[in-house]
Amino acid sequence: MTTNLKDLTKVELRNLDKVFYPKIMITKGQVVEYYIRMAPRILPLIADRPLVLTRYPDGVEGVTMSFFEKNAPEGTPNWVKTKAIYSPTSKRDVNYIVCNDLDTLIWLANLAALEIHMPFSKIDALDTPDLLFFDVDPEPPATLSDAAEAALLLKDRLLDLGLTPFVKTSGKKGLHVVIPIEPEHTFEKARAFVHQVGIELAKESDMVVSEFKDTKKPGKVFADYLQNSPLRTMVIPYSLRPTPDATVSAPLEWSEVKKGINPSDYTISSVVNRTSNPWKNIFGKRCKLEI
Amino acid sequence: MEQENVEDSQTEKTSASAPSRSIWSGNITIGLVNVPVKLFSMIYDKGIAFHFLHKNDGQPLKYVKMCTKDDKIVPWNEVVRGYEVAKNEYITFEQKELDAAKPESDRRIRISKFVDYFSVDPVYFDRTYALLPDKSKDAYSLLYKALEKTNKAGAARITLRTKEYPALLHTYKGALVLTTLRYAYDVVDPADFEPLHKLETPQKTELDLAVKIVTDLSGEFDIAEFEDTYMKRVQELVKQKAKGEKIHIEKPPEIEVKGLMVALRETLKQLEQK
Repeated sequence: MTTNLKDLTKVELRNLDKVFYPKIMITKGQVVEYYIRMAPRILPLIADRPLVLTRYPDGVEGVTMSFFEKNAPEGTPNWVKTKAIYSPTSKRDVNYIVCNDLDTLIWLANLAALEIHMPFSKIDALDTPDLLFFDVDPEPPATLSDAAEAALLLKDRLLDLGLTPFVKTSGKKGLHVVIPIEPEHTFEKARAFVHQVGIELAKESDMVVSEFKDTKKPGKVFADYLQNSPLRTMVIPYSLRPTPDATVSAPLEWSEVKKGINPSDYTISSVVNRTSNPWKNIFGKRCKLEI
Repeated sequence: MEQENVEDSQTEKTSASAPSRSIWSGNITIGLVNVPVKLFSMIYDKGIAFHFLHKNDGQPLKYVKMCTKDDKIVPWNEVVRGYEVAKNEYITFEQKELDAAKPESDRRIRISKFVDYFSVDPVYFDRTYALLPDKSKDAYSLLYKALEKTNKAGAARITLRTKEYPALLHTYKGALVLTTLRYAYDVVDPADFEPLHKLETPQKTELDLAVKIVTDLSGEFDIAEFEDTYMKRVQELVKQKAKGEKIHIEKPPEIEVKGLMVALRETLKQLEQK
């Protein structure tokens, strides 16, 4: 049996004993191990998408600030797949990282990209989304438990429309509900559809608001549709979050979405031991959206 | 020195081989009842034994006692034992003076009462010996069955060589065995560690999560899952050297790297299966 890490991965791993989550003493090595162990579940979900990173070079409470990164950094190995996309605002091409294999995921973890974000369309059809995204976001004192209640209402409505919704925790206080669809509509149409569902939901429940101007009303849950736009993103399923307890954006079975659900039930140490794979084959279950 | 046979220890057998000679014989005494037994070693501290050699000519080295005043080698018959009563101030003893003070083994394992085996914490366990029947097998098997049926262990005393030990007489895989114990004064009370005095009570949610992780990772204990990686590696090196291969010295992977390699192997396997 080989005794060399280099025989197993192309990535030159560094500073593995650096503490990334001081409260629970999770090291960079353990973060890398987490992403390695989750890779079989993560890779099929993020393949062929331009990714956006949030990097924490000194951990979540580190002296160095975290930073967003869209452009592949200097020193990106040539085996890492990238996709050049023209940015009208900065008037140049941005080389997005595309992660289709284990080594790229390990490389991202080695860059301290604790958080990884993905858009709702793939590189071969950037203008037509293949995911509809509802960000179910509670405003305090509303909690994840309230978001769960709203998400269940949303789920029933979507099932009535003949759609197949999937759910994950945001890893913070909210829930993310997505629907896999055939990429045949524009973002504008997709966004309008998601907004319309939110409007109807808000009529049904006093707790839910559908408009951005109402998001700061205490105790309300906002069904956010605004992310359904080109190159806007959500945090990828199983991404770590920069919280003290290393919470995870965890895909759930709908049966797990209930009153009393707590973000801290889903952390680096508990999620790695979960055997269920609720988003398995999500893209084999695409819905045809009639709009 | 130990003559560890490298080839033999590569075989599949996971337990140590049984010794043929007893180290003690006597009686287990319970009130007026005697059970004659022989005592055998059951514990081996296996390791890799190396001899010190002279680098230049490859010859074995030996230890000598040397006087610190004139650097002359002192023969055994000029050696006495000294007990240091103050700095550099000794009271001396001849070996025979000390021998006379040693307790005589009365060849008995005296049982005063029977206790629950699990009421004795393993921190007190010292060394375990196998007891085999001597002369009468009937008394032995009667005691064995009685302990097995009641799930009890005998709290005992035994003098081995020159020391009196508290001990526990219990059953193990079809045998009566005796585990000598440490005295209370040999074991530190953790309450004397200052940092343990102010442990915080964890929050309920944290505790629930910790309990969940423990529950998820719970299983049966199997000693065969543990292996002495240092010994294995040195044996591998011995083989290579014996064949005349050059040894490439490589820094062993650190703990973190080991965990990553296990995770990588498992993930690569899973990804291949898809």
